[in-house]
Amino acid sequence: MAFQFQPHIVVETLPMLMRGVWYTVYLTVGGLFFGFLLGVTAGLMKLARPVLARKLSGMYVELIRGTPMLVQAMFLYYGVPMAVGLRIPPLVAGIIVIAVNSGAYIAEIVRGAIQSINIGQTEAGRSIGLTRAQTMRYIIWPQAFRRMIPPLGNQFIISLKDTSLLMVIGVGELLRTGQEIVAVNFRAFEVYMAVAIVYLAMTMSIAKALRMLEHRLTTRTR
Amino acid sequence: MITIKNLHKQFGDLEVLKGIDLEIKAGEVICVIGPSGSGKSTVLRCINRLETPTSGTVIVDGHDIMDPRTDINYVRTEAGMVFQQFNLFPHMSVLENVTLGPLKVRKIKPEDARHLGYDLLAKVGLAAKAENYPDQLSGGQKQRVAIARALALQPKVILFDEPTSALDPELVGEVLEVMKKLAAEGMTMVVVTHEMGFAREVADRVIFIDQGVIQEEGPPHEFFTNPRHPRLRDFLGKVVHKCADD
Repeated sequence: MAFQFQPHIVVETLPMLMRGVWYTVYLTVGGLFFGFLLGVTAGLMKLARPVLARKLSGMYVELIRGTPMLVQAMFLYYGVPMAVGLRIPPLVAGIIVIAVNSGAYIAEIVRGAIQSINIGQTEAGRSIGLTRAQTMRYIIWPQAFRRMIPPLGNQFIISLKDTSLLMVIGVGELLRTGQEIVAVNFRAFEVYMAVAIVYLAMTMSIAKALRMLEHRLTTRTR
Repeated sequence: MITIKNLHKQFGDLEVLKGIDLEIKAGEVICVIGPSGSGKSTVLRCINRLETPTSGTVIVDGHDIMDPRTDINYVRTEAGMVFQQFNLFPHMSVLENVTLGPLKVRKIKPEDARHLGYDLLAKVGLAAKAENYPDQLSGGQKQRVAIARALALQPKVILFDEPTSALDPELVGEVLEVMKKLAAEGMTMVVVTHEMGFAREVADRVIFIDQGVIQEEGPPHEFFTNPRHPRLRDFLGKVVHKCADD
């Protein structure tokens, strides 16, 4: 029997994916919130004076960037509980993985953006008597943050898509929800197409939101 | 006002300053000239410790900047700086550029800062540009804003690091006018410059630095009409020749 594409199944699947969409949103928003805090901290540590801070931050970035997120997720969810005897709920484990993973990449984005600001800006700030911290807060950070937006947008989109990997630790996110539907109706083509459409809608929303933010920040200061 | 004794500065293997001695009195206008790479900007940057001297003594208004107990941020409010590349803060309005120091360092009230900012911008002829952003200004206007920003902390001395070198020739005059006004008001100024006309007209003393040491110093008239040191004669010959061409 030849395959026959049935568009109405795609349409009917979309509302059934909603539960999964919410989990994907929790993972992405929660993971990126903590990932941003982690990334800013690690990025600033990389530029700090104490050698220990720079070393720690460097090790964190190397470790996370150098191992697959899938491995990190399985290690945290299946491996760590064996050692500490404490099971982490899948959603919490998922948010931790996204946070720790995106944090490493965001650290590099933060560091790069700050270093791209001309040294003359720092000198001018210090020359009017501002402390190092004040110079960062009032002069360097606002300019660097604007430069971070495009690469941050990239990272947000990558992290959103990476939440699909967390199906392996049993988070009922979007892809897993789709897989469960396929297990019932065997319409893999239509269901995964619907899943892809929902991911695309979400990533395009992020891109749009960041474009608006960038536009607002650049027009306010011309 | 400023005492510099046996100042040395080394960048890696390169010894830029090889023992500078200089005494600057309150109200004096000092112009520092010399070929590029001679270390003249480094001397200036050692005064407010944007560069940390390798050895020697620098005392600014009684504060030894080499002493770890010295609050260098306070000393920097006493010694304002104007940069070759202006270094205005591009994300702030002209007024905010001028008032940032008073607000965050001196912690004065916002309305007082606003008045101070407008007064200083009026002084450099740019009150009308207060709400504009730096990239809407010409180079000369930017440098005048930078001077207002330095003045906002009511410093006792202003260090000018080649303030007109990045400007189109027709914009140099407006910046020099503002500087002349400051000099006439009795501001202590140390000016690294290639503007020999300005040095001749405004300076109380001219310093010639070459190869990391002060080769010659004196009042401008004597300095320019009767240079003793052969390197200075050579340098002036080249610079004056260039000016005659312009």
